Amino acid sequence: MLEALTRLDYLLRETWLGLRRGGWMNWAAISTVTILLFLFGSGLQTSWHLEQLVNQFGNQLEVSVFLEPGVLADEIVPLVREMPEVANLEIISKEQAWETLITELGLSDIRGATAQLNGNPLVDELKVLARNPDTVPPLVDRLQSLPGVEAVQYLPEVLQRLRELNQGLNWVSLTITTLLTGSAIAVIMTTIRLIVLARNREIEIMQLVGATRAWIYLPFLFQGIAFGVAGAVIAWVLLGTFQQTLGNLLAGQPDFIRFLFSHGTGRVSLHTLPDFVLLPLILIGFGSVIGLTGSFFAVQRSVR
Amino acid sequence: MRPASVKSPPVTASTQPLSAPPAATDRPLPSPAAQPAAKPAASNPSETPTPTPETPTPPSAIIQLKGVTKVYSNGSYGLNQVNLAVKRGSFLFITGPSGSGKTTFLKLLYGAEQPTHGEVLIDGVPVNQLRGDRLARFRRRLGIVFQDYKLIPRRTVAENVAFALWAQGFSRSDIDRRLEPTLRMVGLANKADCFPEQLSGGEQQRVSLARAIVGTPPLLLADEPTGNLDPDNSLQVLKILRKLNSFGVTILVTTHDEQLVRLSNCPVIQIHRGRLSHLR
Repeated sequence: MLEALTRLDYLLRETWLGLRRGGWMNWAAISTVTILLFLFGSGLQTSWHLEQLVNQFGNQLEVSVFLEPGVLADEIVPLVREMPEVANLEIISKEQAWETLITELGLSDIRGATAQLNGNPLVDELKVLARNPDTVPPLVDRLQSLPGVEAVQYLPEVLQRLRELNQGLNWVSLTITTLLTGSAIAVIMTTIRLIVLARNREIEIMQLVGATRAWIYLPFLFQGIAFGVAGAVIAWVLLGTFQQTLGNLLAGQPDFIRFLFSHGTGRVSLHTLPDFVLLPLILIGFGSVIGLTGSFFAVQRSVR
Repeated sequence: MRPASVKSPPVTASTQPLSAPPAATDRPLPSPAAQPAAKPAASNPSETPTPTPETPTPPSAIIQLKGVTKVYSNGSYGLNQVNLAVKRGSFLFITGPSGSGKTTFLKLLYGAEQPTHGEVLIDGVPVNQLRGDRLARFRRRLGIVFQDYKLIPRRTVAENVAFALWAQGFSRSDIDRRLEPTLRMVGLANKADCFPEQLSGGEQQRVSLARAIVGTPPLLLADEPTGNLDPDNSLQVLKILRKLNSFGVTILVTTHDEQLVRLSNCPVIQIHRGRLSHLR
């Protein structure tokens, strides 16, 4: 216990000392990490928003098949099950659908309503789940060509486009993140390397008085992690400020634009769970990994 | 350098145990107030050199060199087939002209250089087989004093001395406990908060000495500790080394300072053309 405390005491002290001596070099490292994590965080948030937006309109993989009046679902089901694109199939009989509709309309007397309309006006429906988004269009074509099928409905095209946009955005953000991760690691590596070189004499003395390699180089790794965490915290604060500003700007915009930025809830959500808990955790985790990698490369050559 | 006085026949390939009263080695450094009167421990140079036995290390030998040869990358010999055994608690001088290999000799002892042939044993540990962290842990049993002091400029005297203990993983309370008596011993208690550039050469060397002994090592290696000092400061350093020796610390000093050698009547070994010869 005492030994662990001694270690922590030493490591934190030396890390702090190293950071103090780094001076402006620290900012080179921290600002690079901040820019990287800010862009990465923005990309991540936009992607989350778009995904939620798409999900608001229902499952994009779900295709509804309405049968002609008088045709029973059981006649079609075996044919649909054979299709390779189908992942799952659910039958909603017209009775079930009618019951749900009546309830949703707030009517209590189901028999009265049926009698008024001279029987159940609905048809049997199949809810078909496609294996993946790309198989939806061919599946729809095949379903439409089946005998006894009246209509096939699936996710509107605009949402498909939105999905594609999200995918494209993910690619752009992945590319930028990858490139900037390389830069951030390089900058941290150079910074730590310079600090190692500046403290070369101390390291030599440490080796001569019997310090182990871990004891000598762990503070440098901690320093790298500190750069990453500092960059992550600043990026998170910037993202929060940016979102707040965006929210204020949107307040005077038409409903549709507000809807796009607010996942349809009518207000800009700053405090949803993924944004508020997951985002800082991801940023700090990513920042730490970058810092650790950069500093590891920096000391690797010195550790023999 | 011309030897000060040759009292015993030169010893070539081997130098047999330089006798000195054995003393306890690992005991903690007592505070100066509690120490007995300093008395040179290795004051009995009357032994005759005989070849070092190749049989198991005698427990009293803290340093043992067995057939050690060191060839530099340019092909010249630093040491040539050297055998040596130094008893625990000895005080020994190594002299020789510049470039004769004194520093290399010390580096072999603390593992900064590897012998081309032969074996170096410190306290029975084959130093030349140690690498990395095992070598680092072994060095905790040695104190090393350098001619250029090797102090850290931006740390105070106290921090420089404590640095060795921090590096070895001592706790804060242990460091506090050891620091003051050590600084008092080297006469720098009132300069604990000074930075190295505020000190004279002699004081800086004493800081280096304090750093070497604060971990209470049983063996102290000093490379030209008075090389850059005036006679007064040299004498002061010598006095501290003698005091340490009286506590049982084995001391090995390389020097080309004839004055220093003359002042002490400890055994002296000369390195010349890769061979060791016993001067006194």
